[in-house]
Amino acid sequence: MVVADESTPRPEAVLTRDARARRRLLLGAVAAPLAACSPSGRPVGAPVTLVFKHAKLFGDPAPLRTLLDAFERSNPGIRVRDETLPASSDAQHQFYAINLQARSPAFDVFAADVIWVAGFAQAGWLRDLSELLPDHERAALFAGPMRAVTHRQRPYAFPWYVDAGLLYFRSDLLARHGHAPPRTWSGLVRAAQAVCAREPGLRGFVWQGRQYEGLVCNALEYLWSNGGQVFDDGRVVLDSEANRTALSFMVDLVHRYRVSPGSVTTATEEPSRHLFGQGRALFMRNWPYAWTTFADPASRVHGAVGISVLPHFPGGRSTAALGGWQLAVNAYSRAPDAAMRLVAWLGSVPAQKSLALAYGFQPSRVALYDDADLLAAQPALATLREVFATARPRPVMPRYVRVSQVLQTEFSAALSRVRPVALALASAQRGIERVVADAH
Amino acid sequence: MRTERGRERAGWYLVPAGALLCVVVLFPMVYVGWLSLERWSLLEGPARWIGLDNYLRVASDGRFWNALGNTVYFTVVSVLAELALGLAIALLLHRQGRGRALLYGVVLLPWAVPTAVSARMWEWMYNTEIGVINYLIGVEVNWLGSPGWAMHAAIAMDVWKSTPFVALLLIAGLQGIPGDLYRAAAVDGARGAMVLRTITLPLLAPVMLVAVVFRAIDAFRVFDTIYVLTGGGPADSTETLSIYVYRTLFHSLEFGYGSALAVVTLGCAALLTMAYVRLLTWRTQ
Repeated sequence: MVVADESTPRPEAVLTRDARARRRLLLGAVAAPLAACSPSGRPVGAPVTLVFKHAKLFGDPAPLRTLLDAFERSNPGIRVRDETLPASSDAQHQFYAINLQARSPAFDVFAADVIWVAGFAQAGWLRDLSELLPDHERAALFAGPMRAVTHRQRPYAFPWYVDAGLLYFRSDLLARHGHAPPRTWSGLVRAAQAVCAREPGLRGFVWQGRQYEGLVCNALEYLWSNGGQVFDDGRVVLDSEANRTALSFMVDLVHRYRVSPGSVTTATEEPSRHLFGQGRALFMRNWPYAWTTFADPASRVHGAVGISVLPHFPGGRSTAALGGWQLAVNAYSRAPDAAMRLVAWLGSVPAQKSLALAYGFQPSRVALYDDADLLAAQPALATLREVFATARPRPVMPRYVRVSQVLQTEFSAALSRVRPVALALASAQRGIERVVADAH
Repeated sequence: MRTERGRERAGWYLVPAGALLCVVVLFPMVYVGWLSLERWSLLEGPARWIGLDNYLRVASDGRFWNALGNTVYFTVVSVLAELALGLAIALLLHRQGRGRALLYGVVLLPWAVPTAVSARMWEWMYNTEIGVINYLIGVEVNWLGSPGWAMHAAIAMDVWKSTPFVALLLIAGLQGIPGDLYRAAAVDGARGAMVLRTITLPLLAPVMLVAVVFRAIDAFRVFDTIYVLTGGGPADSTETLSIYVYRTLFHSLEFGYGSALAVVTLGCAALLTMAYVRLLTWRTQ
């Protein structure tokens, strides 16, 4: 169950036992040469034990352990203990903030949600990772995550795996009624209205409209795909014509075009996925994790689902909200050099490949999207590459969580028609200006 | 002489418990009070003393007043409903002869389920698409997604959960009313409504007051019900003080301002408690 307030849902690798076993074999094949060709064979002085903290993995923990074992073998003197936290992003945020605030050295490397990095870096809790990310390395990674981990021109985390919003559609129903996957938002509305008129009980378009972090991701995708923004060069520019048009469209999906059911205003990722997975919706906005569940032959919509980048407004460009997890080094770690090595290892091409095979993690390295093994295991990666290339981080700033609270309230107010769109945006503009100025 | 020494010794026995209370209750409270006078965001450098500025910010914070209003509304409506329903159930069960133990058990069930679990259950029941409530009444109401309904949906769940507690207290109270009074009333020719008005309710009043105090204090700090059902939405329409304090402290990591909000919440709860205690002592006099 995806917890409601989760900032970025992790891709849940919902693997069948068969697939898992197959992937473990593949992983072994990847890990062995990895150990052999590692450049860092020398010990780092006194033996150290690194603690690697990350969210509980969905699926078998063994593949990750295999990878860490391989790291230990090629780095004599370093041992790695991996410790898991609850899946809820909020719970993890709380854990890290409280421990780092107390300068705890109890963990060395940890997986950070894309929206935490600027704040944690500002607080001085993260080690500068510039030496792991020289220019050629940055160029090898997706641009969106790179922007999200950069604070004051320096990288404070290593993009590990990528997440972004995309459009799921029922390819069978679209074909049956003679529609192509929509490229624009108005095309989506037309297709949804036409198909739903002939398929009784079918919902047009489901997405996440509950008052929580996911709503901000959903709403920003409309704003951005109409050329709108929250900040421009440090100024708050939320209250703009482009944003009013985009947000009005989002509200109209429910109340005017009626292609989205009222239930989207309470939905998080899982309820939307259930509805779509039961074959009761034509379109869905969700993260890549849902794909794995539809790929299961037991799924009711198996073989009848397609994915694409999200639609856009006329003159705008498709833009996905970026999620995903980054590897960060605790500034209070007692073994920073060993920790950096672990980050480099986990972020390397072979490690990302084996994690992608084992858990369905979407790699942050663009080159892996041309990898024949990966493409064979996950053909969807070809489309996801396009999605991630357009993905944009939510405002990268230390006070993002406070900005998001304002946005959640006002987007929800517009969506449930407590306030007209223009008022909600004007009120959000004022609220965010107050947060930025810290004047109350 | 002996008793004095005894008292002295008794005082020493209190030291461990007193020390424990100081560490786990008194110290955190004083510390939060201290924090509330500082400007301290975990992400933004060292704490700085700012006197009462945080409290001025509370006074002009629309979100705080919205949360306070929601909390008061939730408390008043849910406690009144629980009292009325609890009284009805208590009167019914009190009369019941055979199978009473079984009925008590059934009635108590909702109270025994952990709140987070029952909230998740109710979230599914309220679901517009697949929820059993819409299915049963044959409507398509967006219970948790419309600002008009969401708070009442949360109240309904709280009433379902807490009415058994009120009923149980009132049953105990009913059993404490001497049977002679009812027999005497019967001799005098008093019936149903009159007996209820002149005997049962006045004698049950102290117990009812206790039930209301407990429930009101509990309802005022409502957190898990709302957190699971709506997370405070839509448009902050179900955001209570506890939820707002939690968000400010643990999401935004504003420890100074969050502490000020917590102190104000505590103050409101303390006022509520004091009012009840006054009422209680006034009644017993």
